[in-house]
Amino acid sequence: MSIFDDSESARFREEVRAFLATAPSEEILEAGRKTTSVFAPFKQAIAWQKILYDKGWVAPSWPEEYGGTGWSIQQRYIFAEECNRRGVPPVLPQGVQMVGPAILGFGSEAQKAALLPGILSGEDFWCQGYSEPGAGSDLASLKCRADSDGDDYVLNGSKTWTTYGHHANKMFALVRTSSEGKPQQGITFLLLDMDLPGLEVRPIIGLDGEPEQCEVFFTDVRVPKANRIGEENQGWTVAKYVLEFERGGSTFGTWLLPAQEKLRAWCTRENAFGERLIDRPALRRRLVELDIEIAAVVHTEKRVNANLKHGENPGPMASMLKILGTEVMQRFSELQLEVAGLDALPVQNQALAVGSEVAPIGDEAALLAMPYYLNTRAASIYAGSNEIQRSLLAKAVMEG
Amino acid sequence: MQYQYTAEQTEFKDMLSRFVRDHYDYESRRVYLSSGQGFSKDYWQQLAELGVLGLPFSEALGGLDLPLAYQMAVAEEFGKGLVLEPFLPSVVMAGKLLAASDNSEARDSLIPSLIAGESVLALAWEERDSRGAPGKVLTRAQREGDSVVLNGEKLAVLAAPNADALLVTARDDSGDLNVYLVDTQSPGMTMTAFGSVDGQPAANLRFEQLTLPASAALFKGDALPVLRQILDESLVVMGAEAVGVMDQLLATTVEYCKTRKQFGLPIASFQALQHRIADMVMACERTRSLLWAALQAVGHSHFGDSVAMLKAELGRSGRYVGQQAVQLHGGIGMTEELNVGAYFKRLTAMEVLSGDRDYHLDRLALGSD
Repeated sequence: MSIFDDSESARFREEVRAFLATAPSEEILEAGRKTTSVFAPFKQAIAWQKILYDKGWVAPSWPEEYGGTGWSIQQRYIFAEECNRRGVPPVLPQGVQMVGPAILGFGSEAQKAALLPGILSGEDFWCQGYSEPGAGSDLASLKCRADSDGDDYVLNGSKTWTTYGHHANKMFALVRTSSEGKPQQGITFLLLDMDLPGLEVRPIIGLDGEPEQCEVFFTDVRVPKANRIGEENQGWTVAKYVLEFERGGSTFGTWLLPAQEKLRAWCTRENAFGERLIDRPALRRRLVELDIEIAAVVHTEKRVNANLKHGENPGPMASMLKILGTEVMQRFSELQLEVAGLDALPVQNQALAVGSEVAPIGDEAALLAMPYYLNTRAASIYAGSNEIQRSLLAKAVMEG
Repeated sequence: MQYQYTAEQTEFKDMLSRFVRDHYDYESRRVYLSSGQGFSKDYWQQLAELGVLGLPFSEALGGLDLPLAYQMAVAEEFGKGLVLEPFLPSVVMAGKLLAASDNSEARDSLIPSLIAGESVLALAWEERDSRGAPGKVLTRAQREGDSVVLNGEKLAVLAAPNADALLVTARDDSGDLNVYLVDTQSPGMTMTAFGSVDGQPAANLRFEQLTLPASAALFKGDALPVLRQILDESLVVMGAEAVGVMDQLLATTVEYCKTRKQFGLPIASFQALQHRIADMVMACERTRSLLWAALQAVGHSHFGDSVAMLKAELGRSGRYVGQQAVQLHGGIGMTEELNVGAYFKRLTAMEVLSGDRDYHLDRLALGSD
């Protein structure tokens, strides 16, 4: 614990708190409160990113010379703790956490100079073109073709589960440039603009009735070869690097702790019969059981992070952190649904919109319970399903 | 010991199955959902013609007076097709409670029109703080001369936006629970209609100084035992619907796992997923067994306990089957593109309605009600 609690950490925490106290607008905080998945409402998430960018705090995981903060991994954890405690919307991960590291790791100096500033400021919003209808858990089987034609690639095929594709002006994609050898060997990491001729975006309506994911279709879309990151047919290596970079600092616990505090406060309210939910022994026990699970996540994350140096990643432990974090989030979403009871039933997407004048039906605290429960089912599917993560973890342990 | 439908019941169930198959493909359902009332009045009428709406009622009222298993058969088929017509709230809950009432005038005028498909009834009994307990009612019915004045709030009243009349539970001056017949256009009532997560039309109701004639009272003396009985029977019917939903989800998921290929193999060939399927099967079968056990307990003193077991199990197994169906479908299970999500959301609503798992566990563990 000491590395998170020494006097330097305490000073750092105070600095972060002081900034967070005044930096987010009421609208940004409302968006934070109304975030029902890992992706915050788009407009306010970008607005908050711009504020962080102006402060120089938008990309804590990046090297300092490219706009990083120079913070230790422990300071990054403290920053995440304080952001979640304040309830600001999370920065959308596609730019700073995904395409940024790919460019940092494999891009040319010209690509870095041209693309990194827009990623940091949020002026460019990037979406991910990885999964395809036939390539999910088995990502390497992807088929979207990029055929060489002079200085261009010509793209044909489709991508799916492209989060916020309908908001994006740029995409980073894995495309097939060769069918020789193992499937992983013929994949190339390519950047492209979303307004290219032949590219079509179709939003997919999710269980909560809102479009978050998109399908993207390519018909003879021409992309300059200069937009490639890394070598042709080396895209799998780039993608793996990004994944490891992304998993460098797992922070599920920083979100879970304040969420659980709010849930406990909700259970402590007195109802019209003068009763409190927390006085029901069964519910109180489940709250405490969840406390234990959350504490285990928090301390596992801190323990793993405490031993990491800048630029290192936790290796196979990342699979464990993903499973632990997402499944405790899911159990939290279940308990929150149980607490909400009948007030969770009305579909009220209008009241959920940021800035909405529509009053919630029933208990306002229950507004998010159902969409959050439904959306959080995706947590064990996205970013490598938990089945895949379990296989990776078991393999790592058994192969020692 | 009945563990399956009789030949006559099966024949009836097969007829319903055809009705659902002919009318309830996923696309048609979307059209009904987005229509103003959330279901098809035509089908409601057809269900009346098939005798479905008269199943539980006496022949004197124009019904068929058939055993509870017939209502189960309807619900199971409705579950498989995610049928939106308000059979459960209107016939099985409100209708049966009205039929059991002491108010022959209300009963004799409304039940025949319900059976004929001309009217929809709704039962307003759940409150925010009742959390499943039908007797835990804050809504008050105060006698003022020849009138009764209603004050209070009801939550998640299924079918209320389409109802022609509402049955509202309230405590009278003597502290007894009674049920009052309320016109949907009554001044003093605010209806906040909404679509529930499972697509069912529902509403929250608020009563402020709503004045009723004394004749609006449906029972003489405490109505709680009758209400408990009707609600428990409705939970058996809901249990049958849940079994229909779970069977359908399981079949859909197995089919998907057999056809979806990753790593060059159908995903059904991966042992981790096979075990998940096995657990889903067990969840379905546990619920089905407790469903028949509850049916067998009708008329016995342990009926309430059997129902509580069924609903507690539905809460656990319905959640498991729904969640795993989504998980095994992967991303596509998270969308409105397939009906997997719609089945999952129906199970989720059933978990929350009519007392959650905690409430029914407490009935068993503490004898509470």
